[in-house]
This record gives sequence, structure tokens and C-alpha cells, in this order.
Amino acid sequence: MVKLITHNLLCCHARGCNYPENFPLVFRDVTQLEVREADYNAEFLQKMMPRLEWKALVDTAKQLGDTSLPEELPEGEAMDEEFLKKLHHVLMEIHIEEGAMHCPKCDHKYPILQGIPNMLLAEHEIGR
Amino acid sequence: MTLTAHDSSQLEALRQDPALHESTYVHAVYDNIADHFSQTRYKPWPIIAAFLASLAPGSVGLDSGCGNGKYLPLDQEGKIMLLGMDRSIGLLAHAQRAGGKGREVVRGDAMRVCWRPEAFDFAISIATIHHLSTPERRQQAIEALLRSVSSTHGRVLIYVWATEQDELSKRTVPDDPERAGKKVQDVFVPWQKTAVKGKGKEGESGKQEVHQRYYHMFEKGELRGLVEQAGKSLGLQVLEGAEGAAMPGLQIVQEGWERSNWYVELLRHAPHR
Repeated sequence: MVKLITHNLLCCHARGCNYPENFPLVFRDVTQLEVREADYNAEFLQKMMPRLEWKALVDTAKQLGDTSLPEELPEGEAMDEEFLKKLHHVLMEIHIEEGAMHCPKCDHKYPILQGIPNMLLAEHEIGR
Repeated sequence: MTLTAHDSSQLEALRQDPALHESTYVHAVYDNIADHFSQTRYKPWPIIAAFLASLAPGSVGLDSGCGNGKYLPLDQEGKIMLLGMDRSIGLLAHAQRAGGKGREVVRGDAMRVCWRPEAFDFAISIATIHHLSTPERRQQAIEALLRSVSSTHGRVLIYVWATEQDELSKRTVPDDPERAGKKVQDVFVPWQKTAVKGKGKEGESGKQEVHQRYYHMFEKGELRGLVEQAGKSLGLQVLEGAEGAAMPGLQIVQEGWERSNWYVELLRHAPHR
């Protein structure tokens, strides 16, 4: 299961790719996407939210057909339960089971098989 | 169980191509024994459980070398999140549903950083770095952990097998013939895989498969030394206590030996002023 919370952390690490040009990876050829209910934890969401790359999350959700998140990360009162529930759904309940993620810079393909993304690179693809 | 020292040709093969050595004697073995291995690995170690329980709600962390995912369920009932990473697809299939729930797992390499820099609040590396076959590769894995966590509050916990095994351990590390009073460090650890029942009895002993896994057993002070070198190569000042540092710092919060393992807990600091 690749959830969007995981996708928000992943970067291309091929030779010559550096942050932020290697982020976010772009989903392609998604042949299986599942929505599965997950336990809602407001405290977790509120406290981890500052660690997210918000724009990457919103854009990726849109590519997958979910437009529920606002363009700007809400602050104060706008961070209400209704918003947190939407965030919970996007971050924790959308799963990519089969497909691939591509680097936005070098186009390297990271396949996703049975919900597990393969981030391994061959020796010649690795830079140091 | 007596561990077998590498002979000179095995040591030579290791030096010639460490990645191939690990591929043959670590990755392939774990894929082969994954189902059986997973049945035997379910009890979390106390210091690791305490570390995970001490994390602030909202923490997102990496379990680098998560194996069958036995630590992934220790997520404070969803108040923190652990992302599992391993090289073995066989073990990841177990980790993916550790504790009877869907878990986030990634197939990756412990020496690489396939995350945004400093993406995590914490990282654990339990019984993983001892499977890397040269000092450079082990140091690189520690650097990858340090680069994966926040430079202002990132916490890291590392466990590796020790040459010093206690009486509860079933393992005996042979003495090193070339270094008086020392143990050998590059060893094979046998994994006995008993044949599945109902496969038919062949002879009285049944079918016993033995798989040899490569381990580098750590001596006293060795993990600490690697941490210091990794910190230095990343431009971090290694600190004993919580005192302020002008440079970005790496504090050694605790270190020690527990149940035949060496462990170290680290904390990254922003420079003061």
C-alpha cells in the first residue's frame, strides 16, 4: 500500500538527482487504487501536518482525482474537524497497489507491486 | 550454536565484492527463510519499545531494516507512524500486515536515502547494520540514518549484534587465531529451516535445510567509533551531553550493551545561536 503520507516522503535518489528537483515523484500507470478505511487520529494529524510538503500533497491528490484539500495549508480555526477528516482520507485511506512512480527530473521509474514500492537502484544508477 | 568464521577465501571474496557477498549471504537467505523467520520474531526488545513509547505524538519515523515488521505495530495506537523499509521482499510481505493491520513498507537499501532530506522525526535500525560487510558500508548506513532525520530534533536508535554474547545467547563466537584475546567478527550464522510437516519423511531426521547468513559482530567501542566517523563526515560535532555547540551537533544520549547487542541512541541538535 502506498499511501500519500508515504509518497510525501519519497524522493528519487538516482545519480545527479537532488532535492527539491527530485520531488515529488509522479504516479503513472496506476492500474489499482484502493480506498480503505483507516483509524482516524486527530492528534497525529494535527502534530505531523507541519512536516508535510503541502503543495506536493494537494497536487498529487488532484492527479489521483481527489480535489478535497485547499491549496493553502489552513491555520487556526480553519483547521477544524471537517478539514482534518478530509486530510485523514487523502493521507491515510487512498492506497496505490499497482503502478509506478517517476522522478520529475530524470524520469527514473520506481515500480509499485502489490502495494510495495521498489526504491532500489542498480549500482550504475547510484551517484555518491 | 557455533558461528563459523570466514576462511581466507571467503574473506577475500567479501573484500573483492561486498555487495555480492551481502546479496548471496544476506538478501537471498532472508527471502528464502522469510516465512519461517517471521514465526520466530515477534517479541519487541524492552529498550526499543521504551524508545518508541517516548516519542511525541505526531512523530513520523523510519524503521530501516524492518524485517518482518515486528516494531511497526508499536505506534502508540496511531499517535505516531513508523514506515518500514527492507531489502527482502519476502520479509516485507510479512511486514505489510504486521500486527494484523495494513502497514506502510518500502523496498530499499539501508545505505541510501530515498526520502526528502531530514524527512523523519526519528529512525530505528535494529539488527540491520551488522549485515553490511565493510566498515565503509556500515558507516554509510549510519550516515543515511542521520541524513534521514530532522537536524533540529531527529532521534536515532541503532542495535547491532555484539561479539560479547551472554549466557542466554545460544550463539558462540569463535576466538580469532590472529588476534589474541579477541573474537572473530566476520561470521556465518546458520539458520535451520525445518521441513514443513506433511512433506513426507525421508529418513529419520526429516529434511533440515541450513542457510548461512553473513554477520559482522561488533566489538566494544566499534559502534561508537562508526557513529563518530559518520557524524564527522556530515559536519556534525559529536556531543557527550546536552551542552550547546556552535556547530550542528550529534548528541550520544545513551549507549550500552543489552542481551548480546550493542546499542546507541542519538539526537541531532541545531547549533546554538
